[in-house]
Amino acid sequence: MQKKRKIIVASSAMPFVQGGAHLMVDWLTRTLIDHGHQVETLELPFSPRWEDWLEQMLAFRLIDLSQHGDLLIAIRPPSYLLRHPNKVLWFIHHLRSAYDLWGTRYQDLPYSPEGLRHREAVMRADGVALAEAKKVYCNSHVVAQRLAKFNQIQAEVLYPPLFRPERFRSGPMGDYLLYVSRLTHHKRQWLAIEAMRYAQTPVKLIIAGKPEPGEEAYAAELRSLIERYHLGRRVTLLDRWIAEEEKITLLAECLAAIYLPLDEDSYGYASLEAHHAGKAIVTTADSGGTLELVQHGVNGVVTDPDPEALAAAIDELYRDRSLAERMGQAGQKRIAELGISWDRVIARLLV
Amino acid sequence: MRIAWFTPFSRKSAIGRFSAAVVRELARKHAVEVWYPKTGDPLRTELARVGFHRASDVDAQKLASYDLLVYNLGNHLPFHLDIFELSRRFPGLCVMHDFVMHHFFAAYYLEYLRKPEAYVAAMRRCAGARGARVAEDILAGRRQRVWETDEVAEYPMFEEAIRGQYGVVVHSEFFRQRVISASPVPAARLYLPYELAPIKSVLSRQQLGIPASRLLIVTIGHINPNKRVAAVLDALAESHDLLDRIFYTVAGPCDPGFLAELKSRIAKLGLEQAVRLTGYVDDQQLQSLLNHADLCINLRFPTTEGASASLVEEMLHGKAVVVTDTGFYSELPDDCVAKIRPQHEHADLAAVLRLLITDAGRREKMGRAAREFAENHFRADRYADHLIEFAWHMRGAKPLLQLADLVSQELQFMGVTKDMPIVETVSRECVQLFISGQEP
Amino acid sequence: MKLAVLNNCVPFISGGAEHLAEALTWKLREYGHEATLFRIPFRWEPPAKIIESMLACRLLRLPNVDRVIALKFPAYLVPHSHKTLWLLHQFRQAYDLWGTPFQSIPDSAEGRQIRQVILETDNCYLREARKIYTNSQVTSDRLKRYNGIESEVLFPPLADSRHFYCADYGDYIFFPGRITASKRQLLAVEAMKYVKTDVRLVIAGQHEAAADLAQIEAVIRQNRLARRVEVIPRFISEQEKADLFSRALACAYLPYDEDSYGYVTLEAYHARKPVITCTDSGGVAMLVKHGETGFVIPPEPPAIAAAMDALFEDRQAARRMGEAGIELLRSLKIGWDWVIEALTR
Repeated sequence: MQKKRKIIVASSAMPFVQGGAHLMVDWLTRTLIDHGHQVETLELPFSPRWEDWLEQMLAFRLIDLSQHGDLLIAIRPPSYLLRHPNKVLWFIHHLRSAYDLWGTRYQDLPYSPEGLRHREAVMRADGVALAEAKKVYCNSHVVAQRLAKFNQIQAEVLYPPLFRPERFRSGPMGDYLLYVSRLTHHKRQWLAIEAMRYAQTPVKLIIAGKPEPGEEAYAAELRSLIERYHLGRRVTLLDRWIAEEEKITLLAECLAAIYLPLDEDSYGYASLEAHHAGKAIVTTADSGGTLELVQHGVNGVVTDPDPEALAAAIDELYRDRSLAERMGQAGQKRIAELGISWDRVIARLLV
Repeated sequence: MRIAWFTPFSRKSAIGRFSAAVVRELARKHAVEVWYPKTGDPLRTELARVGFHRASDVDAQKLASYDLLVYNLGNHLPFHLDIFELSRRFPGLCVMHDFVMHHFFAAYYLEYLRKPEAYVAAMRRCAGARGARVAEDILAGRRQRVWETDEVAEYPMFEEAIRGQYGVVVHSEFFRQRVISASPVPAARLYLPYELAPIKSVLSRQQLGIPASRLLIVTIGHINPNKRVAAVLDALAESHDLLDRIFYTVAGPCDPGFLAELKSRIAKLGLEQAVRLTGYVDDQQLQSLLNHADLCINLRFPTTEGASASLVEEMLHGKAVVVTDTGFYSELPDDCVAKIRPQHEHADLAAVLRLLITDAGRREKMGRAAREFAENHFRADRYADHLIEFAWHMRGAKPLLQLADLVSQELQFMGVTKDMPIVETVSRECVQLFISGQEP
Repeated sequence: MKLAVLNNCVPFISGGAEHLAEALTWKLREYGHEATLFRIPFRWEPPAKIIESMLACRLLRLPNVDRVIALKFPAYLVPHSHKTLWLLHQFRQAYDLWGTPFQSIPDSAEGRQIRQVILETDNCYLREARKIYTNSQVTSDRLKRYNGIESEVLFPPLADSRHFYCADYGDYIFFPGRITASKRQLLAVEAMKYVKTDVRLVIAGQHEAAADLAQIEAVIRQNRLARRVEVIPRFISEQEKADLFSRALACAYLPYDEDSYGYVTLEAYHARKPVITCTDSGGVAMLVKHGETGFVIPPEPPAIAAAMDALFEDRQAARRMGEAGIELLRSLKIGWDWVIEALTR
């Protein structure tokens, strides 16, 4: 019987922007409580503006939690800087402008002496935080590679599981592919629509998800694509918030899930949801972290990021439903194979 | 880089001419605009210029588009007042043309702001309790105004000018050392560029009234006691066997009182045939004198300047120069100038003068070395390049300095005093997090 | 409107202020706003940590927020151009508790320096707020007296009152809340030495310092009060509390100089129970009308014992007073409509 612990789960948040980190924090908290531990969840405000980084990092550093709880789990930067004698990082991403986005057009930090200095300062501070941690975990191999490359740290991959995955069920297999995700350009819902132009079977596509703030134009773009290619009968766009129950039903009855983000850090909860519903995943070779989960021909299909290649894959699934089903079943096995479970998470985090 | 270059730009200002030369070089690679206070007669230039009347005319929006703000400061209030006030509001890179800034601040606090308590406070900031006492004594009439005496070198007050800036450029190493011991701000020493003012033609010795057979020895610039002319006269008098070989011309304006003193000394020492005091000379006369000079004497004690434009001028003319081994002068190579020790001024002067008067070869060799050094170092293009290098480095230091400023301000508003542990805690944290990246 | 509610927090300790902050956040959403709650850790031991916590708050940033509603020191120091304060209390150790046994900052040169910084900071930044509300007249008076700042009283309602109910008027006086020296559970226990009837006392709450609980247990032991005094030394759930209230004879709430009337008072009235409090309990007396909705008596164990006995002997009086209590709340407009309107005006 594991000893009951007093655990602080710490993270940061941009006010009113709820990313995946929030779910991780929330689910980790609930799971720890279910396991009988006492948990204090601390989400501190953080502005992503690079001009504000340094003073906020200093603020986090001045917040002294060292007398509280016997374990601190820090999830999102710069909560890694919080002081605690028994600190574990479940590292989900860097302040990316200073790291892997530096030198790309998404850089955001100016390429000036000031920008360089900010970059240097962030990297040094991260070095301190990483060295202080008793253990550093991260959420994917993509992130582990960045930690090794930029911070010379070997982090252990600890995949974030879904909360109460038994909510997801398998149902009678329908004739549509399902793309559930926030509507935003780099998720490439547009690529799925393009693929449907070349599909030769009667397969359908349902795209479900709310546009990110500021991306209503993207949603309109998707709609106009559907119209332009006369796909109105084959492609349905549900550009709104999808309730859990509705999502569960849509997943239960889909032929397979489709998920085509560009170079994402990790596989995304949507992929896990699909597998827990017993469904295969169609993805592309440039989707990044999704490839850690999806193995071509085993639990899904990995194609070139090309509409025709995607169409061929989709058609194949439509024609061979038993293949779709087999790969969907394999999804559950793959999850177990990768050790994606809360028991494992708790066992690893509670140092 | 987009640079705003704040400078006096009147014809009378040596700093204005300096700025014109440097900005011309900077403008080859960067977008530079000269911001100048509109006080009468500006230099003619093709450079992009923005004139302004008062510091209050300039607001943050106008300056927001520049990557670098450069402020040229000197010890003369009328020329630098508004530039100084702007530097307070919008910190940037400060080019300090004078080591002693006391005259500027005395005038600023006492005449312009009419706030004697602010002068005392400034002296306290610069020189502690001792400085504050001196200021109070001056205001109470208990002692002579320190800026009217040689003691001013002990209370230079340059610290006031650089407070809160992100970078400082000075033109001598001794000044740079003083800056870095006073402030954490990055500081660089650059060699002061100098361009000879163009003249129509060189006047002949005859036109200048120099006796044909004698060696011409020259001292130029504003003649005040720290130029040590009296000491030179004494040393010359001692070498009476050389007196009929030389002609010492002291070319520059002089206060009437001091002029009278010098004249009486010349008479007493019997040097009327060998020494001439010219009073003010124009550019043409000055450069012609330097042209014909066989030897220059450019002594300074105590040091008040950041560097010496007159010395650079003499070196560019390829002349051997006798200097005092102090401040900027110490920093020049020994083969380029003849240094005398201030503590052994009389003996060294007599010896060095005898050596250089009698040994033409040595004189000429030194002159050549001086010219080569000057031409390689006191150049606007080198200055511009090194300035940009330093600005780049300074801008890199800015984020942490800005953080320090932000935290200082927060602590100040909170009423935290310097002795409280939070001050040390915060600086330790910042160093550990952002600089050393290690456990302390 | 996008509103951020700011409160401070001590990890693993949750009390009335924390519940209020959560309730406020929920209510703001109920009334149609987007609201989020940030809890900023605050450490005050050793005293130098107070300054660190304050500076940390000054260096935090709140983007994408239209307005801030801040409840406590030092969370209200976080910069924002539109701050409304609903002060639950300032850092009392530097103000009215300074010079009392509860000041907690040492009266040394260092301690006085720290106190001075707190005063200066408050004087500087409290004025930045667009509007200041407080939870009680006592808090407003202190703000005026120590900082010269005007404020308006906005009574904090119960986060949720629907679960409180009245079952009957039993044989025990109920004293809920964190067990600390300043809440003075010890005083109620001392009173039990003097009671003449069979009235009992039930105390329930987490203790902050082990010494506080130890002292209570010692008095119980030394005076053989174990049968009359029940101590539940842990956090109790809302339902447990409601149940304990429902069968209580009355509520005792005897804190030293509290800023506001206290949630306990509201809870007691929602359970239709009278409240025994002390003349030096501060804001509590504001909501307890002596002889009408409860008793306001000197902080002396014999006097407290007498009040307990009086209620034990007259259950009807207890019922009348309890009813009068809930009626008093209605007449004072202590409710969320009023609060949300004021804070988002």
